Amino acid sequence: MDYKLRKAEPKDVSDILRLVKELAKYEEMEHQVTLTEKELLEDGFGDTPFYHCVIAETQGESSRDDPRVVGFAMYYFTYDPWVGKQLYLEEFYVMDECRGLGIGSEILRHLSDLAMKTRCTGMMFVVAENNEPSLQFYKRRGAEDLSQEEGWRLFRFDKDSLVKMATPAEE
Amino acid sequence: MDFSIRAANVEDCKDIARMIMELAEYEKMADHVKVTQRDLEQDGFSKNPFFHGIIAEVPEQHKTKEGHTKIGYALYFYSYSSFKGRAIYMEDLYVMPEFRGKGIGKALMSKVAQLGLAAGCNQLSFTVLDRNKSSLEFYLSQGCFDITANMGYHCMRCEGEALEHLAQP
Repeated sequence: MDYKLRKAEPKDVSDILRLVKELAKYEEMEHQVTLTEKELLEDGFGDTPFYHCVIAETQGESSRDDPRVVGFAMYYFTYDPWVGKQLYLEEFYVMDECRGLGIGSEILRHLSDLAMKTRCTGMMFVVAENNEPSLQFYKRRGAEDLSQEEGWRLFRFDKDSLVKMATPAEE
Repeated sequence: MDFSIRAANVEDCKDIARMIMELAEYEKMADHVKVTQRDLEQDGFSKNPFFHGIIAEVPEQHKTKEGHTKIGYALYFYSYSSFKGRAIYMEDLYVMPEFRGKGIGKALMSKVAQLGLAAGCNQLSFTVLDRNKSSLEFYLSQGCFDITANMGYHCMRCEGEALEHLAQP
């Protein structure tokens, strides 16, 4: 199967959302996706993008077939005050039927290359500890598990807690 | 105690660098710190900053014996959740030991929350070391979720040779 990687364009937002939902389903968290196509469009393709996306697209069997978006990676740049700029891999997914063709590896290679070109000292991401295939995929490629090795735990405040925290206790 | 919270500017980088080191020492990881004051100036205060800072300052009469009035900081940047959209990430939160217990940490975090909400963010994330019990208690008392404990998410990094190797065709 022929495929190519390219930068996402505004027209890709419906495919991006489709793949986000597919991955959420795989992680059994479908109901947690509240993101909309409109938000993806504003947040990814406005003046100050919150994220960037690379798309994996296959060419159809014949030149008459439309290309299909079969994988993507969503990333943005973060900062570690100890070692500097990082490329943060927020989402990375290849459709089931297109796995085993090297698309995932190629996406990762492309992002690692981008990280180095933009002078990032590392590429960061999270993996669920029960996602054995993904953990092994990354560890094989030299990723360190900072939670296990250094004891870092990820915490989160949701919208309601954010609103409470943003309100001063007394004037 | 009187204190003020304000956006960091490029002149604050000397104190930010000092306090980053103090925080790293508290976390027993000072040897991990490679970023310099100059890096902070370039990365945080150029046209496309990679992070933003907030400073907590006390008046002259409360300065430390070394003469510091900048006694706390928070570093944050905007991120994105593929499930929820716009998000804010608090990378560092620190108050010098003698100024703790006075609401300064809460005020810094409150400012980050305000800025996040103003920018349309739906969540605030950060990491804590599992041996940092007093910080864990503080954050949990503010109503956050431990994503690592509850959902088993591990923070991973590819750097140095591993990153170079991944980038090879």
